Amino acid sequence: MDIQLKRGLLDVCVLAAIKNEDSYGYQIIKDMKPYVELSESTLYTILKRLELAQMLTVRSVEHGGRLRKYYRITQAGLRRIEEFREEWQEIVLIYQFVTKEDRNE
Amino acid sequence: MNKQEFLTRLRLGLAGLPQEEIAERVSFYHEMIDDRVEDGLTEEEAVAEIGPVEAVIRQIVAETPLPRLVREKVKPKRQLRAWEIVLLVLGSPIWLALGIAAAAVLFSVYVVIWALIAAFWAVELALAVSGVFCVGAGIVLLCQGDGTRGLLGIAAGLVLAGLAIFGFFGCKALTKGAVRLTKTIALWIKSLFLRKEKEQ
Repeated sequence: MDIQLKRGLLDVCVLAAIKNEDSYGYQIIKDMKPYVELSESTLYTILKRLELAQMLTVRSVEHGGRLRKYYRITQAGLRRIEEFREEWQEIVLIYQFVTKEDRNE
Repeated sequence: MNKQEFLTRLRLGLAGLPQEEIAERVSFYHEMIDDRVEDGLTEEEAVAEIGPVEAVIRQIVAETPLPRLVREKVKPKRQLRAWEIVLLVLGSPIWLALGIAAAAVLFSVYVVIWALIAAFWAVELALAVSGVFCVGAGIVLLCQGDGTRGLLGIAAGLVLAGLAIFGFFGCKALTKGAVRLTKTIALWIKSLFLRKEKEQ
């Protein structure tokens, strides 16, 4: 898949993974696994980018004698998901146009 | 490989990045391994799931912009003494010139690579244009009744066009190769900054 397109999609995927409740790295990877494979280093980069864009906040929580980082979505993050839903309508239209061209040939 | 080994090798491989970033990356992988172990995997299985540590390092270095590595490299580890600053200033005609020369050499390598690619595409264009022209000229000659030369023109045009089609794939492959080569060179330059850091 086109790298730019995939990057944008993965950002929204990670936001969706923490939308309903705070989550942590491994849980995010597990939640996404049935839909899309995500490597640790890719996830790290995405989380950093989203944190910089203030779409999520990070906090360390004591868990079983060690610290675990939890990620919480912000208003800006929720807005990004909404934007994505709207963008998706456009993408569906583009997809229909592309496949229609195929049929005519 | 167990957890400690993985994390140590990761830390060594990332030397050259800012200290805070190394610590953050390492603790990220630390947590990832611990969470897998909590999930029922052994340490070795958890590390294996994350993948070869070399691949992880390579991806991180490729993602880190070169200026960041350079900045970390040239950042003094301690306050410079007065005489060191004097030497730096006095020596600037030498080290500045050397630095510029090194940058110029690297730049010229890029220029040579891409000039070569441009030359190949120019040949490709010339083949295509002359092919079309020859066919056109051949048709004109045929219409004027000059059969032999007309046919010769068309034949030559078709040969040229054929070469152009062949050449197109060659040029495309070469361009792809050049992109890969320039990427490799960029990675190599980055690795220079990392390796030197490790030896210290």
